[in-house]
Amino acid sequence: MFLAKVIGSVWSSVKWPELGGLKLLLVRPYSLADLAGDADGAAPAPTHDGVVCADVLGAGVGEDVVIAYGHAARVAVSEMLPDGAKPGVPIDAAVVAIVDRWAVNRQ
Amino acid sequence: MIRGRVIGEVWATRKAPGLTGRRLLVIAVDGADRAMVAIDTLDAREGEDVMVSVGSGARNVLSPGPDNRALLCDAAISMIIDGES
Repeated sequence: MFLAKVIGSVWSSVKWPELGGLKLLLVRPYSLADLAGDADGAAPAPTHDGVVCADVLGAGVGEDVVIAYGHAARVAVSEMLPDGAKPGVPIDAAVVAIVDRWAVNRQ
Repeated sequence: MIRGRVIGEVWATRKAPGLTGRRLLVIAVDGADRAMVAIDTLDAREGEDVMVSVGSGARNVLSPGPDNRALLCDAAISMIIDGES
């Protein structure tokens, strides 16, 4: 899992049916240097390359989120969808938490 | 597994049900400008060196066995490092 900031969204009309109704977000992971910058009081800005992930929690642009990869991402999406299990959903990254607060103290 | 150091913690109220009650720690990955988030079951503290299991191995930290595929976990602290040479 990793910390990231939501910077946008992605949508498409031609896709696998299992992806229907699934919101896709564009996020930027925080690097170690980004997080350490928080100690100076300045709001950290993520600098890594973007990652596209599924979102069933309703995260919005500007919010910080925790992203899970792989099977954990599919578990997160499946348990939040109304029809329960969707094991075939072809995603490999998903928002699993919308961050209220984090504290980092890099020694 | 990934070696790293605990540098912080993350709190979230809006989260996937599978993460309820889980403690999420921020880990600085050794030798890389990369931070990751891992589930902690060992009560690791800030500044401690840890090993983080990822993927299927991470689920085995929470619940060993073949029937843990419903768990939401892709990274978990599997040991706190005392020393190394």
